Amino acid sequence: MTDILIRVRGLKKYYNQGAIKALDGIDADINKGDVITVIGPSGGGKSTFLRSLNLLEVPTEGSIIFNGVDITKKKELNSEGKMVRLDLNKHREKMGMVFQHFNLFPHLSILDNMTLAPVKVKGMNKIEAEDKAIALLERVGLGDRATAYPIQLSGGQKQRVAIVRALMMEPEVMLFDEPTSALDPEMVGEVLEVMKELAESGMTMVVVTHEMGFAREVGNRTFFLCEGKLMEEGTPDEVFNNPKNPRLHDFLSKVLL
Amino acid sequence: MFTAAGFKRAFEYMTLFEQGLVCTVMLSAFTVIFGFILALVLALMRLSNICPFAFLRTDREGHLREQGFLFRLSKFNPISFVASVYVEVFRATPLLVQIFIVYYVVLADLPLPTFKLFGMIRFNRFIPGVIALSMNSGAYLSEIIRAGIQSIDGGQTEAARSLGMSQMQNMRHIVLPQAIKNILPAIANEFVTIIKESAICYTIGVQEIMSAVTSIRGATFRIAEPLIIATAIYFCLTFPTSKIIAYFEKRMGAGDKRNGGGRKAKKAAAALAKRRNQL
Repeated sequence: MTDILIRVRGLKKYYNQGAIKALDGIDADINKGDVITVIGPSGGGKSTFLRSLNLLEVPTEGSIIFNGVDITKKKELNSEGKMVRLDLNKHREKMGMVFQHFNLFPHLSILDNMTLAPVKVKGMNKIEAEDKAIALLERVGLGDRATAYPIQLSGGQKQRVAIVRALMMEPEVMLFDEPTSALDPEMVGEVLEVMKELAESGMTMVVVTHEMGFAREVGNRTFFLCEGKLMEEGTPDEVFNNPKNPRLHDFLSKVLL
Repeated sequence: MFTAAGFKRAFEYMTLFEQGLVCTVMLSAFTVIFGFILALVLALMRLSNICPFAFLRTDREGHLREQGFLFRLSKFNPISFVASVYVEVFRATPLLVQIFIVYYVVLADLPLPTFKLFGMIRFNRFIPGVIALSMNSGAYLSEIIRAGIQSIDGGQTEAARSLGMSQMQNMRHIVLPQAIKNILPAIANEFVTIIKESAICYTIGVQEIMSAVTSIRGATFRIAEPLIIATAIYFCLTFPTSKIIAYFEKRMGAGDKRNGGGRKAKKAAAALAKRRNQL
């Protein structure tokens, strides 16, 4: 019996009063320690699905149960069994997110980018947070860039910083929204390497990606999203080598030359 | 037109100019402070997303409404509406009218304290001036601030929120620092405008620089020389103001340059190297 970390039920996201159905009823379970890669054609709802998990997109319908709490609701049951107002920020800090365009804070140094949230949200000691940040930066080979500003870094370096910035909050799950799509080809490797190490350390990850090699090798499960539906899911081996859905077959024949 | 003797006569009343200068500076300083606070509140009101009738979005069967009065009512944000009306009214009417309304109508029957600030600024005239100027510049500044906040990439907010920051913390630490840096030139412009427009307060008897000019005119029957002196004083106030703000703009631009900062950055880098060795 595996622990389910995030349980998604009947997730729907409509735009323009239902004219656009970005997500059209998705059911999925994300277990602790899973490394899930989400693939599919563009416009298929991959990013919307990922962004719904931490409610950056508010779903039109459906529920997202994170650690047993339905975070789409306004209220939650606290430890004493009382209904209290749901503190979304508390849940969000346990879900790290990495964006396609890095979204580092340009007015803060790398060190401040990393320590701001732990200090302000968690009330962590500033010195302690900086020590932790430097240690994390060393781990991704950027120990000497802590005092630099984001503009002074290359794309690959920025994305590595974005990953460790999210790790500063000690999340239980990391969400990656096409982390390598905005990078020059020669910088993709360094970011994937960091993600691979993270996966090996046992972090639960959900990765929306176009890197089929990464999806095959690193993930333990693969979701195929198309037209707002979870059309197929399975191990990478099942999905890539033995696709059942004709849409997936079609998609793979286009991306895997 | 100008004579040396005229300037000499005007300079005899230099204390009037000195008092006027202090009054103008105080007037502008209070206006900047209150105007800026008001502007910040107005800008946040306009950008707020509070729809008390949002429950009308769905009809009794639970379907989303797509048109009609109730649909529009469901999207109605009274807070933003109030702020918009305020801004539009204050931008569309003359400052002179606003000052007269504040002084002769709104505050006419209020017993304002009549003491003199620094022994010369008449408080019961000064306060209506500050209120009217602040309300006026607040309207203009709020539009500048709103534009500044909207110019910040939405990804910044998403990153901040995904790190668990509240909307308040996001505004305070991420959006506003970047927005204010971007709009500093426009803010400088508005501050300079406030100093210049404070001259209008002489019409309600605030004894600032322009009121000194009229007093001296009455005493010496000369107008050109006092006006030239007033012009010089105003210039000496506004020019440094814009320069000071330009300095802050440069200082806040730490994240703008690829070649890094100056001495401060080098010091930080040295401190970092030391800490890395210790760890």
